[in-house]
Amino acid sequence: MARFKNNKKKGRVIVKPIAKKNQANVDHVTGDKIPKSFVFSRMKLPGSVKQLQMDLRKLMLPYTALNLKEKKRNTLRDFLNVSGPMGVTHFLMLSKTASSLSLRVARTPQGPTLTFKIHQYSLASDIAQSQLRPRCPQDLFQSPPLIVLSGFGSQELHLKLATIMFQNIFPAIDINTVKLSTCQRLVLLNYNKDTKLIDFRHYSIRLQPVGVSRRIRKFVQNHKVPDLRNLQDVSDFVTKAGYGSESEGDEEAATVTLSSDLGRANRGSTKSAVKLQEIGPRMTMQLVKVEEGLCSGGIIFSEYENVDGKKEKEKKKQNEDGEAEEEEDSEDEGEEGSAEEDGEDMDEDFED
Amino acid sequence: MSTGEESHHMATAQSGNRKRRVGKASKSKKSKTLPPSSTRFKVTMKNQKLFQKRARDYNSDDDVEEDEEKKQPEVTIREKIFSDANMGPNYDEIEEGDDEEEEEEGSDNDEAVQSGITKFASDGGCNAFKIAFKAIMKKTKEDDILDPILSGRKPLIAKQLAEEEAEFKAKGQARKAKHLVAEKGHVKPGSYLDSHEKILIGVATKGVVKLFNAVNKAQHAQKGLNPSRSKDAKVLKKRRKEAFFSELGKTSKTDTKAQKSSTSNEDDAPGWAPLRDNYMLANPKLKDWDKKLETREGNDFAAMSGDESYED
Repeated sequence: MARFKNNKKKGRVIVKPIAKKNQANVDHVTGDKIPKSFVFSRMKLPGSVKQLQMDLRKLMLPYTALNLKEKKRNTLRDFLNVSGPMGVTHFLMLSKTASSLSLRVARTPQGPTLTFKIHQYSLASDIAQSQLRPRCPQDLFQSPPLIVLSGFGSQELHLKLATIMFQNIFPAIDINTVKLSTCQRLVLLNYNKDTKLIDFRHYSIRLQPVGVSRRIRKFVQNHKVPDLRNLQDVSDFVTKAGYGSESEGDEEAATVTLSSDLGRANRGSTKSAVKLQEIGPRMTMQLVKVEEGLCSGGIIFSEYENVDGKKEKEKKKQNEDGEAEEEEDSEDEGEEGSAEEDGEDMDEDFED
Repeated sequence: MSTGEESHHMATAQSGNRKRRVGKASKSKKSKTLPPSSTRFKVTMKNQKLFQKRARDYNSDDDVEEDEEKKQPEVTIREKIFSDANMGPNYDEIEEGDDEEEEEEGSDNDEAVQSGITKFASDGGCNAFKIAFKAIMKKTKEDDILDPILSGRKPLIAKQLAEEEAEFKAKGQARKAKHLVAEKGHVKPGSYLDSHEKILIGVATKGVVKLFNAVNKAQHAQKGLNPSRSKDAKVLKKRRKEAFFSELGKTSKTDTKAQKSSTSNEDDAPGWAPLRDNYMLANPKLKDWDKKLETREGNDFAAMSGDESYED
């Protein structure tokens, strides 16, 4: 089916009856639909939770509505009606009550809803304040983030559902054609079996050439002319053995060989180290409820289950199995993203 | 005496001030309210300045009738009256007001009713006024909050103030409690990197490293190939799957290696870029220069239609 591709190029005027930015609905490489999301809340939020909502919106860029305005009289129905024509696939809803703050992740139009209770959170601005050198390059939010899920396992069904849901929120990447310069952000979800808490972190990826002395690296990166007053010869500058930073030991494990050039400092087929710096919100959450419909329907899993809930759970489990399988089949090349490493409890998300 | 004062008075104020003469004439009567004179004295700027000048220049030594009882400060008092009092249309009223006061005060002295200005001039009225004024000022210094006149309300007002204080305190506490509830769960990280965070960063880094290595392998291997050649497309698809699984450790790595070595011989292309077969077709940007925007897959099919059937 022929589709008109509209790149989200800044500055280019798109002549259309509705003058708004149009994003590609279908990823031309994989042929999948690009998932888009709305982050909103249906109630008035206190100040810092509003900030958290904004941080989450930035996290979901570029496939989300950054300036979404919600009014008090908007109901979930309204959002559903809008999401259809715009191709929005996921809703992330924040809500705050006196006792708890919760985040609901739901798939439109009738998908399951996961309810997470947020025990603790930190805003992006808090984290930037606690760092010595906060880093935020300009094009950081121009491409969607990668996602790394760890510790979820594949035994429990609700965890599996959570895995699948999170993998589908972000668009898939094709490892054959992806450009490493577009992989700039990373979202980590780490599940802790003992406490049943999920750690949510958001990092920015930076590549640093390895094996180069510190001075030369800084010189190339910062474009600053070095001070050669005390040196007799330029060779002193180049070959002087400076002491390495203490994080060089970690770098050994994090070394990759790039396939292409990435900016001035990292050239293709040389070794570079991957360095992560935290940006964005930090949350500690717990999965408390899984519902079948969009904030409605039967409860598939509930953390605080009662006696009746158990029976329902068993009944719905079969339905949920069917659902999970359906979702899996709909992905091309099979849903292998949740494959496990032997000996390593790590799930990764890259699909063809 | 009275005539002297009268004449003095006339010397200081303009002769048009007949009101005073009326007041002075009827000494026996103490009229509280003087009849509004038909000939109202209109104060213009010129008159005002004149009065002020006269008040300033007045010196008791010039007047013969007024003698040693006059003191210097009286001049300043008079000046003050002229400058402070409303010199506008209210000029008359204020003068009358002063007049009344002076009359009240002066009644103690058993003296004749005198006009306001001369009251200040005379000693008896001045002293009495001074004493009364000082007494009031002293009293007001003690309780500053409460009105000295309405001292009966003191306990009532004190109670009201105490109530307000308590109310404010309760409100403040309620606000604080609300703020706490709103911020519940919000944690500001103290130090940036503690051990738990380091573990998490390590996990994430491992994931990224794996991904980048896989990408590197996949992209390096298929550098020479392009999707529009059917043979290559088949090989590509096969290799994708295998490379993918191999990266995750599922299938053996030997297959991919074999594939790589076999196809590397095919890539014996001429040196100059345009001479190669896949010039301008490998680069996805340049490829679609004449086509409308279709997906890559569609292109593939279009390119090899008719020749070979596409097999998985």
